[in-house]
Amino acid sequence: MFTLPQKESKAPTTCPGPASTQDLDSNHGDGLERECSRKPDWKLPEFCGVGDPTATASSDSSHLSSRGSIIKWFWDSAEEGYRTYHMDEYDEDKNPSGIINMGTSENKLCFDLLSRRLSQSDMLRVEPSLLQYPDWRGHLFLREEVARFLSFYCKSPAPLKPENVVVLNGCASLFSALATVLCEVGEAFLIPAPYYGAITQHVYLYGGVRLVCVYLDSEVTGLDTRPFQLTVEKLEMALQRANFEGVKVKGLILINPQNPLGDIYSPGELRDYLEFAKRHKLHVMVDEVYMLSVFEKSAGYHSVLSLEGLPDPQRTHVMWATSKDFGMSGLRFGTLYTENRDVATAVASLCRYHGLSGLVQYQMAQLLGDRDWINQVYLPENHARLKAAHTYVAGELRALGIPFLGRGAGFFIWVDLRKYLPEATFKEEMLLWRRFLDNKVLLSCGKAFQCKEPGWFRLVFSDKAHRLCLGMQRVRQVLEGKSQVPDDPASCQSQESGNQHR
Amino acid sequence: MLTGSSQPAEAKTKTQSMSHRLGMCRMPSAQMRGQGLRNQRIHTHLMEMMLHLKQTIEKNLMHLTTRHLQQDLVLEEQRHSQAASEEEALLGRLIYQLVNLLQSGAVGGLGLQPSCPSLDVRRDVRGGQWAQSSRQPDWPVHQLSDLEATFVSQHLSSRGIDISALYHSSFQDYKIYQRDKYHEDKNTMGFINLGLSENKLCLDLMTERLSQSDMNYIEDDLLQYPDWRGQPFLREEVARFLTYYCKVPDQLDPENVVVLNGCSSVFSTLAMVLCDPGEAFLIPAPFYGGFAFSACLYSKVELILVHLDSEGKKVRALILINPQNPLGDVYSRDSLQEYLEFAKRYHLHVIIDEIYMLSVFDEFITFHSVLSMESLPDPNRTHVIWGTSKDFGISGFRFGVLYTHNREVASAVSSFGYLHGISGIAQHKLCRLLQDREWIDKVYLPTYRSRLQIAHGYMTKKLEALGIPFLNRGSGLYIWMNLKMYLDPCTFEEELLLHRRFLDNKLILSRGRTYMCKEPGWFRITFADKPLLLKQAMHRFCQVLSEQKQDLIMKQLENAQRECSLCLRRNPRHLPPVQAQPPHRTWTVTMGMVWKENALENQTGSCQSSVEWVILPPQRPLIAPTCPLEEASLNGSGTQLRRATGPTTWTSMMRIRTPVASLTWAPVRTNSALTCCPGG
Repeated sequence: MFTLPQKESKAPTTCPGPASTQDLDSNHGDGLERECSRKPDWKLPEFCGVGDPTATASSDSSHLSSRGSIIKWFWDSAEEGYRTYHMDEYDEDKNPSGIINMGTSENKLCFDLLSRRLSQSDMLRVEPSLLQYPDWRGHLFLREEVARFLSFYCKSPAPLKPENVVVLNGCASLFSALATVLCEVGEAFLIPAPYYGAITQHVYLYGGVRLVCVYLDSEVTGLDTRPFQLTVEKLEMALQRANFEGVKVKGLILINPQNPLGDIYSPGELRDYLEFAKRHKLHVMVDEVYMLSVFEKSAGYHSVLSLEGLPDPQRTHVMWATSKDFGMSGLRFGTLYTENRDVATAVASLCRYHGLSGLVQYQMAQLLGDRDWINQVYLPENHARLKAAHTYVAGELRALGIPFLGRGAGFFIWVDLRKYLPEATFKEEMLLWRRFLDNKVLLSCGKAFQCKEPGWFRLVFSDKAHRLCLGMQRVRQVLEGKSQVPDDPASCQSQESGNQHR
Repeated sequence: MLTGSSQPAEAKTKTQSMSHRLGMCRMPSAQMRGQGLRNQRIHTHLMEMMLHLKQTIEKNLMHLTTRHLQQDLVLEEQRHSQAASEEEALLGRLIYQLVNLLQSGAVGGLGLQPSCPSLDVRRDVRGGQWAQSSRQPDWPVHQLSDLEATFVSQHLSSRGIDISALYHSSFQDYKIYQRDKYHEDKNTMGFINLGLSENKLCLDLMTERLSQSDMNYIEDDLLQYPDWRGQPFLREEVARFLTYYCKVPDQLDPENVVVLNGCSSVFSTLAMVLCDPGEAFLIPAPFYGGFAFSACLYSKVELILVHLDSEGKKVRALILINPQNPLGDVYSRDSLQEYLEFAKRYHLHVIIDEIYMLSVFDEFITFHSVLSMESLPDPNRTHVIWGTSKDFGISGFRFGVLYTHNREVASAVSSFGYLHGISGIAQHKLCRLLQDREWIDKVYLPTYRSRLQIAHGYMTKKLEALGIPFLNRGSGLYIWMNLKMYLDPCTFEEELLLHRRFLDNKLILSRGRTYMCKEPGWFRITFADKPLLLKQAMHRFCQVLSEQKQDLIMKQLENAQRECSLCLRRNPRHLPPVQAQPPHRTWTVTMGMVWKENALENQTGSCQSSVEWVILPPQRPLIAPTCPLEEASLNGSGTQLRRATGPTTWTSMMRIRTPVASLTWAPVRTNSALTCCPGG
């Protein structure tokens, strides 16, 4: 119910019918009137080809609330690929026939550097103040360090201020908190699709906020354009369409470098998008979680914080985390930078629920402050390894004659497997995804990113060479098998979406 | 500046609508809400603002009255000249604003900052701008603009505003404390926080243990995306740990464990998955106020105090805290069983918070975990919360556990793992900590408990010496004590004022109101801190209390005298006192005149007495001829109006018993002044 296709509306509507959602609503609609009017509209956002989760949700649970059932559905379905993987993880020695994970966007290339650094003696400090209730925005020493760090690496014209920094346990929490404090239930953010699909869940779980897709497509329309290019025109159209359908849009989410496209916005483009947002009084959340993972110097990355004179600084909120750039997704450290004190305060009010351990905060401050190590050891090595891995996978793909995108940023390549689908449907895409999984390699399919065109896959290359090699081999097996053996309708009833993890 | 501008009006509507919503979660039943309007927190600065407004009103009133008089002399028809009606409109607006502010203040969600200079809202909202925050000297006038700055943000959603406001009002003290912590060498003038239940007795042990080499271990797995329910190694350890310390008959299953970053997160997610918005939890009050906060911040779930199903709310669960916070009670096995049976009868979930389970220091008290019961009445609806914040004194670690037999609930809560994840590095340390049974049993717990005992002993002795009643329980980190005798009158406003007085003396306690306690005057004081600090804190504590009585008396006097001079200015005619009042320190006001009766000779007079005003209007009745003014609630401030009895030549007489610090009688006087004739 929440597709806003640009041209002919050809989006598959496999989302739950209104009957079932209504059912949920009427069951529990007996609160006070005020509560009713504020009651979250617990309709499912349109997901990938989901069946009807609300049907099962409403029938099988006497213990959960109706929203609890939907929340549980997120856990049960969206994680399936991930869990299958966890039950049968590849291990060189112990489980060589296990699943190779090329779906989760994690940087596994630099654990050696990181664990060495994190084991150094300066990391061991334990202080009573770190063990006590903290400043919920994050310890001051950490916020100061983050401000210095971002000033330097985002090349901000003026030093950034620690009081504009809020630290939480990851960008997921940040999306959740921002959605909650910027939107009412049922309101929406614009987001160019394909996008990192887990954001849907982040803004929805607590916030009840929906995403309006600005659909991009692979078609190249002009000389200076590229596939899946975001333009102000497309933004305008999506916004108009949303307004037309009575959906209140409060903000725009930009991911730069983009996930899954690996696209990088030029300063000119960025400014255009920001001006667009300003015209419509939209908040802009810029997720720059891959900003230091630009391994091609020529790509020319520019942080939004580097712009002189932001069009609407009070509505521009920047997110960064160590999950990607420092390959520590398990560390749970994310940060918000915003000049809007109201927003910072409101997000900080929720930090009670999104806090991170004081000891870890201390370690992060040490890490981010070690400019020598970052500049001379970590970043050069990380970039070199990323580049080598990218080169290898790109070479393999070229050898297979598979078109792909990738501009030298991020951990992934956006791969065009459309020619391997007998029919251009998401069902076929899912079948192919399942076939990969059966052949013990986990990828993410385009549907998980709300891609409009079936047949695109995201392939993560930031892994050790031997695993990468084996993974590519398995991919090739499937694709070559596919092109030889005619399609057999395998036992694929699963309607889940593949992997949603970054 | 307070009158006509549209911005304060905007602030008002915002806060009004907000107060309604917040009211829902704070004051669930109609009865409570009514009480809330009358009794609840009226912030000091609000009162100051009222004083300011009142003065404006009075100025205008004088004006109006004289105008009326002149008009009386001229023509009846011209009575409502342009100017007069304008002034009346202005007056009306002012009173309206007052009432509104009071009402919203009554709900406490405003987060209005008190007048204490260190509590400038801008300091925390505006983060580090302390230096440039140039505060104006005429403080009260600037309150409204602060209000706007904080709560009328064009950028936030209305729930965003609610969240900010609720946070502000609930955690003011905490933020003050964070900025200006007491330190025995570096900042001896800083705040001592005995309001926060934080265990600081064993930081030395913890620091030492956490510095050992086994803690510092980095592995690839710890740096990667985890199992969002918590790393398997940690969940296994938690299951073993709880099995042992909760004395569980059978081994607990790690699959039933979900690990999140703190118990508030666990509670918040449970509220999400067990309740729909507007539904409710049942909870015995007084209770730890953080729950109300956690329940409604994200999840919009209400807490209903004690009684089942008021107002047709759907109650989904019963919340038990064992050992209880703030009372320190430890439930017996039988009462636990009863509560669970009760819940089962009504198909209620039971959420049991056992976060203080290892903090029982009285050896004659046995704690019974709900997990130790042979058979739970309704295992699928029983959910246990535990964390390391209190028992191990590492609140900065952010670690909370849910144990539930109900896999559905566990899965649903796990969906939030993304949003409440703990760092892999911290998970490793926690696992090591919980694993080290020998250290816990032989080193940590014995030391911890004996230190608790000593600190508790010190504190109780002090309280006994002061003659302060308190609950003497053998668990928890705090004492629940009754300071009713220092309140005059015994209202929640006075409780708040006393709280402020502690704050002014750099001592933070937490007051009963924040635990939804029904009686004013209760405070919770934490004793789990270093002896030196406790000593310093008790010194401040005694100082405040010894000043309190004296100061109350002084304040009453000052107020009365101020009123007196005002009245004298207005109406210099001397009228005889009509009535001798039995209570000491009574002043009688007749047509604006003030008499003292039995006045100052009784300096040490009981705190129970209050200022009494008798306003005697002449021929015309006061507001309306037979207006039943008794108990009329003027503006929800707790003002009581009573018709005076006794011999009088006047047609009617009013006695207004006013809480000293509350100036809410002003509107009444407004009326009397308006209708009073000069001939009286």
